[in-house]
Amino acid sequence: MVQVGTIVWLGSEVMFFAGLFAIYFTLRSTQPELWAETTQVLNVPFAFVNTVILVLSSVTCQFGVFAAERLQARATGWKPTQWGMVEWFFLTYLMGAAFVVGQIYEYAILVSEHVSLSSDAYGSAFYITTGFHGLHVTGGLIAFLLVIGRAYAAKNFGHKEATSAIVVSYYWHFVDVVWIALFGIIYFLK
Amino acid sequence: MKANYVLFWVVAVFCYIAAAVYTYWAVIDEYSVGTVEWVGTVGLVLCGVLASLIAFYVQRVYKAQGGELPEDRLDASIDDGEAEQGFFSPWSWWPVMLAAGAALAFLGLAVGVWIAAIGGAVVLVSLVGWVYEYHRGYFGH
Repeated sequence: MVQVGTIVWLGSEVMFFAGLFAIYFTLRSTQPELWAETTQVLNVPFAFVNTVILVLSSVTCQFGVFAAERLQARATGWKPTQWGMVEWFFLTYLMGAAFVVGQIYEYAILVSEHVSLSSDAYGSAFYITTGFHGLHVTGGLIAFLLVIGRAYAAKNFGHKEATSAIVVSYYWHFVDVVWIALFGIIYFLK
Repeated sequence: MKANYVLFWVVAVFCYIAAAVYTYWAVIDEYSVGTVEWVGTVGLVLCGVLASLIAFYVQRVYKAQGGELPEDRLDASIDDGEAEQGFFSPWSWWPVMLAAGAALAFLGLAVGVWIAAIGGAVVLVSLVGWVYEYHRGYFGH
């Protein structure tokens, strides 16, 4: 039940991002010169490293789900093969947080190069699309903390706790896929 | 459930075809020769993604459950489907609290940031209260 509801809600999130992609492409088609000029300042290698971190965090998140599915909340040893959901999700949290920090750093650099939310159409399109994605990542980080908290609150880690872990992972993978699309459009297609 | 996911695949394919036709039509249109109309193209393609996502998920669930559910069988009786359906909260104040917190937070953005700070605090308490409502106290497990 919870899983189906989450997937349907993620469907509506697809349409939310559809609006943002439409904004980006429409502005881009009306001002190609602005795009050709402003995309020069983007730091593609930096964004690529950030993207790799986010994609890998989806992998660690999935390992957390595997642990949750065998109803193992905590580690039974130091080796990653013995980790429980909590350890994997803390690692995922750190990687997601690193992504957000990287994005804030990138924003700061871009603002210093006079690309801001109100500078021109490119700035608006860039910050609205990547910014809403960043807010989604931040929301996902909060969700991870709440799910980790549920694992600590439960004396017996059961299917109820595992279900919340699974649906948060759905959300996290979705946000990851959206970023891959955004990354391809903003940093490669330009 | 098979009918459900097949229907969603049909919707998905329709949206992809509509997206292709729309894009082509915009390109050959005499008022916008050679340019793609991005809002419709992106919107229709992602409508297809929306339907594909649900179709793919329901298909996976169907394959994994290994058989038809009672509600999909004409020869099923009511009590075939009486197993646990899931957990449903009978009632809760937390959604009301959370909505009030969100309302305060956005009111604050409009009239004065100090109200948003109060709203943020209410949101934080309500969110934690809602998430842990059935995980502590009487419901601790």
